[in-house]
Amino acid sequence: KMALYNFKKIMVVPTSKEFIDITLSKTQRKTPTVVHKHYQIHRIRHFYMRKVKFTQQNYHDRLSQILTDFPKLDDIHPFYADLMNVLYDKDHYKLALGQINIAKNLIDNVSKDYVRLMKYGDSLYRCKQLKRAALGRMCTIMKRQKQSLEYLEQVRQHLSRLPTIDPNTRTLLLCGYPNVGKSSFINKVTRADVEVQPYAFTTKSLFVGHMDYKYLRWQVVDTPGILDHPLEERNTIEMQAITALAHLRSAVLYVMDVSEQCGQTLEQQLELFNNIRPLFANKPLLIVANKCDVKKISELTEEDQKIFADLTAEGISVIETSTLTEEGVMTVKTEACDKLLAHRVDGKMKGKKVHDVLNRLHLAVPAKRDEKARPPFIPEGARIGRKTMEVDAPKQYWDLMNQDEKYDVIPEIWEGHNIADYIDPDIMKNLEDLEKEEELKVKAGEYETDEESEDEEMQEIRQLAKQIREKRKLKIVCSKDKDVHGPRLPRTVKKVERKTLEKEMGDLGLDMTGKDDSHYAVNARRSRSVGVAKKRKREASVVPTSRTRSQSASRPPRDQSGVRDPKMAKQAKKLMKNQQKDMNRQGKKGEADRHVFDLKPKHLFSGKRKSGTNDHR
Amino acid sequence: MRIEKCYFCSGPVYPGHGTMFVRNDCKTFRFCKSKCLKNFKKKRNPRKTRWTKAFRKASGKELTVDNCLEFEKRRNVAVKYQRELWSKAVEAMRKVEGIKRKRQAQFVFNRLKKGKQLEKEEAISEVKKNIHLIKAPHAGKAKVMEEKMVQKLQDVEMGDD
Repeated sequence: KMALYNFKKIMVVPTSKEFIDITLSKTQRKTPTVVHKHYQIHRIRHFYMRKVKFTQQNYHDRLSQILTDFPKLDDIHPFYADLMNVLYDKDHYKLALGQINIAKNLIDNVSKDYVRLMKYGDSLYRCKQLKRAALGRMCTIMKRQKQSLEYLEQVRQHLSRLPTIDPNTRTLLLCGYPNVGKSSFINKVTRADVEVQPYAFTTKSLFVGHMDYKYLRWQVVDTPGILDHPLEERNTIEMQAITALAHLRSAVLYVMDVSEQCGQTLEQQLELFNNIRPLFANKPLLIVANKCDVKKISELTEEDQKIFADLTAEGISVIETSTLTEEGVMTVKTEACDKLLAHRVDGKMKGKKVHDVLNRLHLAVPAKRDEKARPPFIPEGARIGRKTMEVDAPKQYWDLMNQDEKYDVIPEIWEGHNIADYIDPDIMKNLEDLEKEEELKVKAGEYETDEESEDEEMQEIRQLAKQIREKRKLKIVCSKDKDVHGPRLPRTVKKVERKTLEKEMGDLGLDMTGKDDSHYAVNARRSRSVGVAKKRKREASVVPTSRTRSQSASRPPRDQSGVRDPKMAKQAKKLMKNQQKDMNRQGKKGEADRHVFDLKPKHLFSGKRKSGTNDHR
Repeated sequence: MRIEKCYFCSGPVYPGHGTMFVRNDCKTFRFCKSKCLKNFKKKRNPRKTRWTKAFRKASGKELTVDNCLEFEKRRNVAVKYQRELWSKAVEAMRKVEGIKRKRQAQFVFNRLKKGKQLEKEEAISEVKKNIHLIKAPHAGKAKVMEEKMVQKLQDVEMGDD
């Protein structure tokens, strides 16, 4: 049902003159405008063909939009279809749309023909004339649609103002003679504000109001008054009411004026009621005896009271109301709503959808085979044993060889092994075989550690080998540590101290005691003695003059100068060591070693700079 | 609940650990840690990756064929629960484990025996070649030699006389 909201979304239908103007000006603006006769012919042709096609396209699009926007009477709810028929005349409506469709096709054909012709245009003038002809024809077609377009525009305006009545929801429909009090009723019951006037046909179309009852939304539809004449003679206004009555599945509230202020007698009102009775088929019906503040039913004549009595006897409830004093209005509302709800529920029960649910609620009853009564039997034990039903059920269903093992907790894992992998009916036999095998192996001596306790010689050899290896490593390290700056001098240039020589040779096991007479010692002494003698000669002749010379021998070493006692010396030494700690830890040669080995360490310079410091990342 | 084997390193995958990869031909691969998974994705052969058990078995570094290894085997036949069978199996399992460890240790020991021999020989040759680094060749013999020389000289003198 594309009905409701789409009626408001229909695009404005322009008049034919407007239509033409819009399309032509659009063509002029949106297509290229400059062309000269010295252009190549295909370019000129293309230029004019484009204009023709553009115009055609525009017309086509707009007309198609109109055609799709307007609802098709076959596609919408029959209530709306009928209503539109009543209001706008179905035939006229269809004709108008048909005309539009024809116009669209004609325009398409015109464009096709002229584009084809333009392919053979050999000069600018010819192409231009063709274009003029094409556009002219298209516009003439549109001019002829003036009537249809006007009509459609009016239809659109009226359509957008129709009240949004949902034909499928709960509805209360008010009907009756003009001036009986239908509009007053709807004003009282809903928030609608329908015009109430003393003259007839104040309400000229359908009005909708909404109200709430039992947490549901209800529609109340107010109709224009119906007069009592046959269907063919009814005018548009009355026909709307009839349409509503015919198509809406609602509860009907037939409003009667007891006081006859509307200008009709009760008999006439009853006549009307009987005439339109067929329209109330399958709808819950309620008679509202309005204006009871003026005259109550009990104040009526016998005959008139009989009318109401007859109606009540037929099963139609009659309720007295007064929209002025609001007496009975609520009663009417509640009764009408309840009736409608019951009716709708009945309808649903008879429908097909209910069965989906009902089918799942089937109670299976065994077929009786004889007259013996077989009521359900619950033994005593079941009643008592209900408690045992609460215990964990699954374990009861294992089909084991030994039933009392059902509740055992089966171990699954032991020390990283799956016990399930070891389960084998022959496991004990295999184990026996394995143990026998093991015994044999042990006997055969396979597990003997076989470590012949090595003789002393071997142990000594090992010890020596160890020492040799250590010594070698040490030597390698020493040679690597040597700071070789400058040219490599031969070994003999460096003077070997007697002390180091004796120590080394001592480590190697030689006896170096009492070697004062040995060659190397004598040589060492001799070289020294010569130097000493020379020095002594010099010193004997020259008298020391400067103080530095005389004091050079007596100058204390730097770590003893200015130091009073051993305690202070210790402290001084401690200070010295402390100062050197950091340098030593960083492997620096001394104070002056400020060399940085790695100016740009990779870990500080790689990666994105997120939160963190530059000292470490 | 069972402890699975990692496809790559053959280590235990405890429940709740590791990942499983299912290939299009429905073969499942379990991995104990992402290291194994990453290696697998790099298409490395576990039999050539040195730290895996598969490598060790394939290159003969560990005991492969033995009766005690036949006990732990995945059997596809379900056995109905019997209490005595299960309890016996658990006992048997412990004993088998003991024997298995002994045999594995022995296997490794036998494999490493040759190395010990080589080590011995190497020590001997080292000492023979480089003894001079810790002991001078005539270390304790200097005095003896001196005495010998003195004796010789005396002998010569005596001879002269």
